Amino acid sequence: MIVVACALAWQPARAQTDGDAVEVVQTWYRLTLELVRHTPTYSPPVASRAFAYLGVTAYEAAAGGSDDLVSFAGQLNALSPLPERQEGQDYADAAVVHAAMAKAVRELFGNTGPTGQRAMDAIERRLGERVSEGLDAEVLARSTAHGETIAAHILEWSQSDRGAVVENMGFPHVHELTAGGAHWTPTSLIAQQQKPLLPDWGNNRTFAMPNGASCDLPPPPAYSEEEDSEFYREAREVYDTVKDLTPEQRAIARFWSDDPMLSPTPPGHWISIAMKVLEEEGADLDRSVEALSLLGVTLADSFIGCWEAKYRFDLVRPITYIRRLMDPKWEPPLNTPPFPEYPSGHSTQSGAAAVVLAKLFGETFAFEDDTHVDDGLPARSYASFHAAAEEAAMSRLYGGIHFRAAIERGLEQGHCIGDHANALRTRRQP
Amino acid sequence: MMRATSAAILLLALTAQAMAQASPVVPTFIEETQAAGINAVFDGDWEYMVGGGVATFDCNDDGFADMLIAGGSAKATFYRNASERGGSLRFEKQDSGLELDAVAGAYPLDVDGDGVTDLVLLRVGENVVMRGLGSCRFERANEEWSFDGGDAWSTAFSATWERGAQWPTLAVGNYIDRREEGFPWGSCTDNWLHRPEGGDQFAPPLALKPSHCALSILFTDWNRSGTPALRVSNDREYYKGGQEQLWRIELGQVPARYTAEEGWKPLRIWGMGIAGYDLDFDGYPEYFLTSMADNKLQKLSGDASRPDYADVAFAKGVTAHRPYVGDNLRPSTAWHVQFEDVNNDGLADLFVVKGNVAKMPDFAEHDPNNLLLQRPDGTFEEAGDRAGVASTAIGRGGALADFNLDGLLDMVVVNRWESAQLWRNASEDAGRWMQVRLVQDGPNRDAVGAWIEIRCAGEVMRREVTVGGGHASGQSGWHHFGLGEEAEAEIRVIWPDGEEGDWQRFDSDGFYMLERGAALAAWTPG
Repeated sequence: MIVVACALAWQPARAQTDGDAVEVVQTWYRLTLELVRHTPTYSPPVASRAFAYLGVTAYEAAAGGSDDLVSFAGQLNALSPLPERQEGQDYADAAVVHAAMAKAVRELFGNTGPTGQRAMDAIERRLGERVSEGLDAEVLARSTAHGETIAAHILEWSQSDRGAVVENMGFPHVHELTAGGAHWTPTSLIAQQQKPLLPDWGNNRTFAMPNGASCDLPPPPAYSEEEDSEFYREAREVYDTVKDLTPEQRAIARFWSDDPMLSPTPPGHWISIAMKVLEEEGADLDRSVEALSLLGVTLADSFIGCWEAKYRFDLVRPITYIRRLMDPKWEPPLNTPPFPEYPSGHSTQSGAAAVVLAKLFGETFAFEDDTHVDDGLPARSYASFHAAAEEAAMSRLYGGIHFRAAIERGLEQGHCIGDHANALRTRRQP
Repeated sequence: MMRATSAAILLLALTAQAMAQASPVVPTFIEETQAAGINAVFDGDWEYMVGGGVATFDCNDDGFADMLIAGGSAKATFYRNASERGGSLRFEKQDSGLELDAVAGAYPLDVDGDGVTDLVLLRVGENVVMRGLGSCRFERANEEWSFDGGDAWSTAFSATWERGAQWPTLAVGNYIDRREEGFPWGSCTDNWLHRPEGGDQFAPPLALKPSHCALSILFTDWNRSGTPALRVSNDREYYKGGQEQLWRIELGQVPARYTAEEGWKPLRIWGMGIAGYDLDFDGYPEYFLTSMADNKLQKLSGDASRPDYADVAFAKGVTAHRPYVGDNLRPSTAWHVQFEDVNNDGLADLFVVKGNVAKMPDFAEHDPNNLLLQRPDGTFEEAGDRAGVASTAIGRGGALADFNLDGLLDMVVVNRWESAQLWRNASEDAGRWMQVRLVQDGPNRDAVGAWIEIRCAGEVMRREVTVGGGHASGQSGWHHFGLGEEAEAEIRVIWPDGEEGDWQRFDSDGFYMLERGAALAAWTPG
């Protein structure tokens, strides 16, 4: 929408529409999904952080011109009031949002490769031409400047969250492993992954929940190598499930695998779902940025909460336990991620995403997920967001990389984290 | 095929010199870039972030390897080798007809079987086959040979002679659609198979679908079946649904990929270079695949009935995943790769060219090239710094070749935005050696697809004669073997059609011509 203080004073040659602004949001998000996939530091936690800041940037850029949206300032941890639009001046929302998102994407993905840099140039140029078409030069300049100011505010806020600097693709050069069979030990023959990914991520500043431990979960089953123990039974379940994997279970494992560098990662998978739902709904700018920001926030909180627990419990992965006690040649269908097992990150973040999206679109909202069609994986259909989350969580057992407790309690942790995002106020009128 | 036990015996026999020491002999390299007259830059922006190859070949029949260095957006540069045997390296820039622009890589081979080396130039745009005229002159032959050079971003090459064919089959690997700006990911363009048509022409190229942005390809007889398959190493940065590939290329048959059911495991890396060598003397090549961060060394998991490979890079000490000099611990970016014996101890060593893609801050900016020396136990140790070749320029292509015919392999590296570099191997304590060139009548003059076997101490080491692999860099000419302390040894060739030549004795420290059906003949320059 365009804020017109004096409608008769200025008639744009081509009025910017809400659809223009929505296209800006969708296009930058589409590019971001590619940049996440193709920027080597973008492991799932790092990706979730980018989605949160990008979502909040788009939201605040739009909220300043909205009759309905209220700012997240004062609601999200340490987010101070955003710069406001000048009273009585005209702004074009599409230009504001474009400028804000362009600056945010450039900053968040400043470390991407030459092809990503070239793509950002191209998209900024194309969308810039689109949003400026027929727009008064002063309005365009004012809108652009304001969008950039919004982005600068968000980016400055982001610098103090302890997640801004990621070195060596997130793998520390020094990290002391905890001795004992119960604890994580490297699971791959990749030299870089002999240390676990981002061990301090759980200490990052959260967005909507107080801190990384706010949605605590009970400890995993007590570690044991006794065959009648719960721990052994859970490991046996993984082993037996993988041994007798059905084609459908294998397809599910592959569909939700969401490997870094080969996909938009698990948080990107849920962003992709939301984008498609919004597009099919024909959502306007307010609803688009509302959904994408809330989803980004809860995904980021999920990885902080999950990582806080992962490194507190520091649990061994199935591949290590099963090879040691059951079958030394055992191979799970999926590559085991290089960090501790409990809880399952995909389960936590999927549980949280489902809680947020269900509130926005409905508890029984059915949808089709075509995130991986370009990679040759057919779309899958779900009766609800919760159904998708439960399948995503179980995919980790089918893939042989998580025990059941990490899945079920990960989902529960995600529900708690999602509730924190859902407690944010986005609308003036409830 | 040899078994592991005999491999161990061979190791003991060949490496007495090395075994007597804790570590392999570290070769001594002296950089002679300027003194040798080399000043050739691989230039250009985004469309030249990959490529940057060098071709080494003898185009004036003096036995010395001449050189073409890709120029990217600038013209390629040809250098005639003016070195003297055993002396300092010296090259003279000379017009050859190869000075095209947009050249990303170059591979020498004798396409038309006339005994004169031709070249295939990979380009951003139309690829060009250049017919050798002798005396280091070349001319375009696309039209005469019906070679469709297309219009792509060509980044990989390999060649073979299919069984009984009178004309080579060329495989060209292509990268992304360079005209896609906003969303280039997933835009990998088709790789091409240029098969013969008639006796002296190429058929229209056959698309190898699906293609996944190849940066290196190699025809190699991985299972010693007598029919090479096509290995394709792909850049996961750009494909969607892709992986590393192995294609079954059989005469008269439609190319078909090996599948997971046949044992080919999905592997997804930033594939940039391929090198094959039978490192453990079991008769089958291992394959090194360059990438970003960790690199891969693949070894057959079981017998050769299935292309089922395990990654043994970590166990062998060749992950080469980050710089080994300086204080920069960010991950490495690896391109050209080649196995050769640089200290002549009878064990193939590993040469890897490194260089940041272009201002990627998450990866090492100063990324030294690797020279990993093989130990008698099959593991490797880094010696690039001790050997004097730890250049941190932005490397791409490269080659190891004996430029001054002293039996020691010298080194050339092509750099992006900086001049190529040249090092002379001046080792004084290296082992003994032999070098051989193969010749046969008929179309495949240089016996591409043959296996050369060297027997000493009752055991055998082998290398496959290939055209392709590495990163945008090809070679023809001498095949080099280090022999440790052996004063003499035996050689035979299994020719491309499977015929086994006779074992023939030779003295170490010499060059030999081996013409099919004839006695091994010593060769001396001049």
